[in-house]
Amino acid sequence: MQPSHLAGVINLDHPGHYIHFHWLLISYGNAIVIGLMVATFVAVLFLPFPGSRLKDSHE
Amino acid sequence: MSKKSFNPDVDVVEWTGTHRPYDIIKEGTIALVVMSLLVVLLSALFSSPDDRPATLRQWSHSDPVDFANTAFSELNGSSGTAGYGQPYNNTPNATQTIGPLALQRWMGVHIPVHPAADFVLATLATLPDSPIISAALQQWKSSSNTAQFTWMENFAKVTPTFSAGALHFPPVDAGPIPVLMSGLTSMARAGSLDQSLLGGGSNYYSTDYTRPLLFLADGNWFSGLAEKQHLAGDQWGMMNETGSYPGQAWLWLYTFWYQVPPFSASENADSLIWGLMMVLTVIMIFVPFIPGVRSIPRRTKVYRLIWRNHYRK
Repeated sequence: MQPSHLAGVINLDHPGHYIHFHWLLISYGNAIVIGLMVATFVAVLFLPFPGSRLKDSHE
Repeated sequence: MSKKSFNPDVDVVEWTGTHRPYDIIKEGTIALVVMSLLVVLLSALFSSPDDRPATLRQWSHSDPVDFANTAFSELNGSSGTAGYGQPYNNTPNATQTIGPLALQRWMGVHIPVHPAADFVLATLATLPDSPIISAALQQWKSSSNTAQFTWMENFAKVTPTFSAGALHFPPVDAGPIPVLMSGLTSMARAGSLDQSLLGGGSNYYSTDYTRPLLFLADGNWFSGLAEKQHLAGDQWGMMNETGSYPGQAWLWLYTFWYQVPPFSASENADSLIWGLMMVLTVIMIFVPFIPGVRSIPRRTKVYRLIWRNHYRK
């Protein structure tokens, strides 16, 4: 790999690690992104809307 | 005329409760600003994949024997490209089908590629001041099909080696083939083959990499690179990225089918999986019209969790 002037603070240009379970093969990068998406979905289900308490009090 | 019964999935009761103002422009602007900041922040933190491009020059330096063997497969018509069918050529029974539907063949040959001529013979003919190559090309062109076939049969039985910067072949009656293969390998090692195959070799600023990529894909070196990076079809490669970067996670379902029977063992996997994904996409589009499926949001009541303050009242 060639060093680049535009390299990020965290260098991910090195061989990846993978989770291999039977027929499932997924990179740590993808697993983390999917985990963050699921966590975001669960969070928006349970976290209150910003300012919802204020608006509700005006109803 | 009987009165139509109320269907909770289709019919809507007129809203009689309170109304609340909602500023969608403000909401959209906040989302745009937050996403833009995230893009800048994550770009600075992680940058983007920066893998060096795979070239014919790199290949011929890393594995010159594999390059020469692949070049010979282009000449004798046994390469993957030569037997691919449409859109590159009219090889019979080469294309994938979905039952009786030969979608690939119907597209026709709209990117004609003749591996022997395009990758080997015409390319070598562009070499200036090379009397040995010119003589070998002349010998090949002026020989009969029978002679060419015999030379190729003989050459296929030998295994070249590489040392001291050159290919070496065991003594074999293969006409001009050893000279042609050595010439093409030298051309690739010098870097001129990459340029020659770009856009058919006629356009200096071309970005048409079809021919160099097809040539690369016919060898073992390129697929070896892909396997090291977990990019092969049987490694969920469609959703992976080079290095440790996250890839195209949204393609999980598409690449999933390639891992399981019957697709994993099918020669028509690409066509069958494309067809299956189209069917699933159509089903997704028509979810509001499919009884039972369209009732899932109403029955799971997730919306009551999101709007729990409203429903609590």
